[in-house]
Amino acid sequence: MLFNTAHFFLFLAVVLALFYTSPRAFRKYILLVASYFFYGSWNYRFIPLLLTLTAIDYTAGRWLEKVPPGPRRKAVLILSLCANLGFLGFFKFYNFLGSNLAWVLDKPANSYFLNIVLPLGISFHTFQSMSYVVDVYRGEQQAVRNPIDYALFICFFPQLVAGPIVRARNFFHDLWHWQPPTSEDVSRGVLLIALGLTKKMAFADQFAKVANDYFKNVSGNPGWLTAWSGVVAFGMQIYFDFSGYTDMAIGMAKLLGFHFPVNFRRPYLAASITDFWRRWHISLSTWLRDYLYISLGGNRHGRWMTYRNLMLTMLLGGLWHGASWNFVIWGGYHGAMLAVERVFRGNRPVREDWNWLYPLKALATFAMVMIGWVFFRAADLPQSLQVLHQMFRGHGHLLLANWHLELIAVALVLAVVEEKFEGFERVLKAPMLAYASALALMFFCIEVFGVIDASIPFVYFQF
Amino acid sequence: MRKGMAIAPSPILETTQVRKRRRIALTLLVACLLLFGLDALLFRTRLYTSILEPDSSAGLLELILWREKAAQQTAGDNLVVTLGNSRMGYTPRIVDQRPRQTGYAVRTAGVAGSDPRAWYYLLRDLDPTASRYRAIVFGIDDYDDEDHAFNPDDDIRALHYCIARLRFGDAIDFAQSFHSREVQWEAFRGAVLKGIALQSDIQAFLAHPLKRIAYVRLCHQGWPDWTYNYVESSRNMVGLQIDWSTLTATYPPGMTDEQKDTVHGWLLYAPNPQTGRLAHFLRTWLGRTADRYRTSRTKIVFFRLPRGPILRPDYLVKKRSSSIRELASRPNVILANEHLFDCLEHPEFFKDAVHLNRDGVERFSAMLADEVARILGPPGEPAAR
Repeated sequence: MLFNTAHFFLFLAVVLALFYTSPRAFRKYILLVASYFFYGSWNYRFIPLLLTLTAIDYTAGRWLEKVPPGPRRKAVLILSLCANLGFLGFFKFYNFLGSNLAWVLDKPANSYFLNIVLPLGISFHTFQSMSYVVDVYRGEQQAVRNPIDYALFICFFPQLVAGPIVRARNFFHDLWHWQPPTSEDVSRGVLLIALGLTKKMAFADQFAKVANDYFKNVSGNPGWLTAWSGVVAFGMQIYFDFSGYTDMAIGMAKLLGFHFPVNFRRPYLAASITDFWRRWHISLSTWLRDYLYISLGGNRHGRWMTYRNLMLTMLLGGLWHGASWNFVIWGGYHGAMLAVERVFRGNRPVREDWNWLYPLKALATFAMVMIGWVFFRAADLPQSLQVLHQMFRGHGHLLLANWHLELIAVALVLAVVEEKFEGFERVLKAPMLAYASALALMFFCIEVFGVIDASIPFVYFQF
Repeated sequence: MRKGMAIAPSPILETTQVRKRRRIALTLLVACLLLFGLDALLFRTRLYTSILEPDSSAGLLELILWREKAAQQTAGDNLVVTLGNSRMGYTPRIVDQRPRQTGYAVRTAGVAGSDPRAWYYLLRDLDPTASRYRAIVFGIDDYDDEDHAFNPDDDIRALHYCIARLRFGDAIDFAQSFHSREVQWEAFRGAVLKGIALQSDIQAFLAHPLKRIAYVRLCHQGWPDWTYNYVESSRNMVGLQIDWSTLTATYPPGMTDEQKDTVHGWLLYAPNPQTGRLAHFLRTWLGRTADRYRTSRTKIVFFRLPRGPILRPDYLVKKRSSSIRELASRPNVILANEHLFDCLEHPEFFKDAVHLNRDGVERFSAMLADEVARILGPPGEPAAR
C-alpha cells in the first residue's frame, strides 16, 4: 500500500474512523493492529522478524533498567545492538560482503550469494529501536513496561517504512499523555498530507520519469547538458519524493494525535554542505550525530579526530542507505566535504546570512549535492563514473521540458517564501477560504501534473 | 500513569473539538468545490478548449465542430452532414466542383480515429436541437457485426476525443459505457476532472505557450480551406496478392511499410471469437443517436463503406448479428444499398488496406452525394425508403 494510492486512503479512513469511534483504552490496540496490517500488506512474512526485534529490544530495555551500571549493563546493550545490527547486516549487507569476499578470493561474484529479500523499512525501525535501547542505557529514557506500547513505537504505520526516525521519549510522551488533536493539528495534518501528495505525485513522479529514462540508458545520452538534466531530475525526484512521504507521515500522525519531528527544511536552499545536512533527512542526521558522531568523540578530541569522526559518521550513514560501494562513496563524499568545510570554518558556528553572496553559495552547494546524487542513483560504480565523466564534457541536450523547469521555478519561489515568510504557517492561520484555496490549488496541481496511473514507489522504501 | 489514551476529556472541550472538526470537514468540502470550480472554469468553458493542440484528438474534434458550426450559418436549409472515421473518404470539394448539383450541401464532420460514441457527443453539440440537418450520414464498416481483437467499447481514446464535449451529467453514463473496470474508472475521473484527461495537452502548452497560441490562431485562419482543398494520395494497392489459406501477402515492388502494416492489421488476421461486444456497442451509441432524431425532420442514413482493396473470404468469419440492419426499423433511419460501393472494392481505389486513394475518394464522394440526394428526394420532398 503506497501512500499515494486509493487503497491507502481507504485504509487511513477506516483507521481514523475506528480510532475515534472506539473507547480510548482500545485505541492503541487499533493502531497496533492497523500497523501490522499495513506492514503485512507489503509482505506478511516479515511480521515475525518485526516482532522478534521488538521483543529483543523491549526485553533489553527492561533488563537494562534492572542491571546496575557496570560491565553487565554494557554487555546487555552490546547484545541488543548486536542483535539489531545482526539482523540489519544479514538482510542488508550479506550479499554485499559476500560479493566482495568472492572478489578478494578470486571466485565468481555469486559464490556466496543468497536470495535475500530486504524487509521493508528495516533500516528505519532498527535505528529507532537502537536509539531507544541506547537512551535507556544512558538513563535518558525510562524502560517501557507495556510491550504493546513498545510494539506500537516500532511499527506505528505512518513512519514504519521510511521514517522519520522518531525518538522514544517523544513518541511515548504523545502516547502516554495522549490528547485529541487540536483543530490546528488537524488543519496542519490535512495540509501536510495534501502537500506531501502533491510533492510526490505532481513533482517527484514527473521528475522520476526523466531521471529513470536517463539512468536507464546513460551511454545513449551523452553530453554535459543531458547528464546534468538527468541528475538534477533525480535530485528533484528524491527531494520531493522523500519530503513528500515525510510530510504525509507527519500529517497522518497529527490526525492521530502524535507529533513527529520535522525531517526536511528546504535543503536545496542550503548554502553549505553542513547547512544541507541540517536541512536534509534531519531525523537521520541528528540520529547519526547523537548516537554515532558524539559516541565516537565528536569534536572533543582535536581537529584531526573531528575530521575522522565526521568522515566515519558519513561513511556509515552512506552505508545505512544501501549495501553498495556507491553508497559508501556517497557517504564518504559528504563526509569529506563536511571535513573540508570544518577546516575552513574551524570551531565557529555555522551562520548562513542571506546576503548577495548567498545565492552563489546555495548554487554551489546545490551543484555539489547533485554530484553526490550521481553515486546515490547510478546502478553501480562504473555507471557513476560514466555519468560524472559526461557531466563535464560534450554538449548534449536538455532532458527536462520547459514545464519541468517551470515546476522547479515555482518550487524555488515557494521555498524562498517559506524560508523567509513562513508561508505554510500563514496558510494555517489564514481564513477558511484561503486555507481551502491552498488545498484546492494542491489538488489542482495533482490533477494537472500528477502521475496517476504509473505506480512509482517511494525512493526511500528500498532502504 | 501509562494509560494516557484513557484520560477522559471535559464535555466542553469535546463539544468545541466537534465544532472545530466540523469546520475542517466544511473546509475540505469548500476545497473540493473550489477544485471543481477551477476545473470547470478552465476546461468546461472556452478558456482552455480554445487553445487545445489542434493536432490532438480533442483539438481535432473541436476544430471540426467549430468549422461545421460556422458552415451551418451559411449553408442554407438543405444541409447534410457525414460522420465517420478516417475511412469515410467523403470530400465536399469534389461534389461542389461537379457541374450537376443535387440541391443538398453535403458536408463532413468525420474525425479520424473516432467511433460512434464520439460521434454521438459531437453531434449533440453540433446539432443541439436535432433539427439543423436534412440528413446525417454515417459511414459504417459493415452492416453485419464482426468482433475484432480490439473492441471499441473499451477504447479510452473516446475520452480524449470527447473530453471537451462531456458535461458533468455525462460522467457516470459515459464511464459505464466502457467494458472494463479500469477503463470505466479512467473515463469517470477524466469526465469529472477534465484536467486529468488533458494532462499531456496542458503540459505541452506550458512547455511552449506562445507557439501553441500562434498555431491555434493559424489553424483557425486556414483550417477550413486546408481541409476543403486536401488532395488524397494517389498511391494504390495494385499487385497485392493474398493467400488466404496461409494468411500471407505478396506485395508488389515499392509498397511502403505503412501500407504493409495496414494489410497485416486489417486483412491478414485469424478470426476472432465473436462475443457480441461490437454489436452491443453499435446498438448503444448509434441507437442513442437515432433516438435523438426519432421525431425530427432529420433522416439518419447509413452507408456501408468500401471494405477494402481485396475482400476477406466469408469463411474466415461467421457474423452473428447485424446491429445496423436492426436500426433500420426505427423511425427516420434509412439504410443505403449495401452493395452501392462494391465497385470501389478494388486495389486501384485504395491507398492502403483501409483507406481510399484519390481516385477512390473522387468516385466515392460523387456516388455518396448522388445516393443521398436520391434517398432524400428533391429538397422539400419526403425521403424515399
